[in-house]
Amino acid sequence: MKTRIKELRTARGMTQVDLAKEVGVRRETIVFLEKGKYNPSLQLAHKIASTFDMAIEDVFLL
Amino acid sequence: MKYVKPAIALVSLLVTLSIWGFIAVYRAGYEPNVLQTAIIAIILISGVYAFMVHMRRYRDEQQGFPPEDELSNRIKYKAGYYAFIASMYVWMLIFLFKAFIPDAETMLGGGILLSAFISIAIRNYMTRNYDENQN
Repeated sequence: MKTRIKELRTARGMTQVDLAKEVGVRRETIVFLEKGKYNPSLQLAHKIASTFDMAIEDVFLL
Repeated sequence: MKYVKPAIALVSLLVTLSIWGFIAVYRAGYEPNVLQTAIIAIILISGVYAFMVHMRRYRDEQQGFPPEDELSNRIKYKAGYYAFIASMYVWMLIFLFKAFIPDAETMLGGGILLSAFISIAIRNYMTRNYDENQN
């Protein structure tokens, strides 16, 4: 699954560590999400989208 | 997670006792064969790996990260599945080559340790190379 996490994160000046702590996951999870190697649960996708104040479908692209 | 510190203490104690045990056995004049030496090596590698894993978890906990999350849990379950399949083949090979193994204790002990080692190796590999779109 493609995501815009890296783009949105860097635009807000956040590091992977910041985002991981914000959504309550390990840093490795953010790394795998950004590489498109992991499809998150709906709960995590919602948390990440909420962090960026965006809709899930604007962050995660099929 | 409150279990991390006691787990580190327990693993450290077990590794230390194992090393002391091996030293005592060597000093008593017993010389293990190649297979037994391999078993000792696997025990030590497993112990050191467990210690490193728990230290990493402790460090993560101190930095405010959860020791486990949904990705690490998913990797754990998938690695467990692959390790189970691999272990079945290993046990089949052990029984095929049992004529080369000196006694039943060595065979069972070695087989169990080899299964544990396979589990560690697969989980370690998957942690680094996980790709949900391929696995």
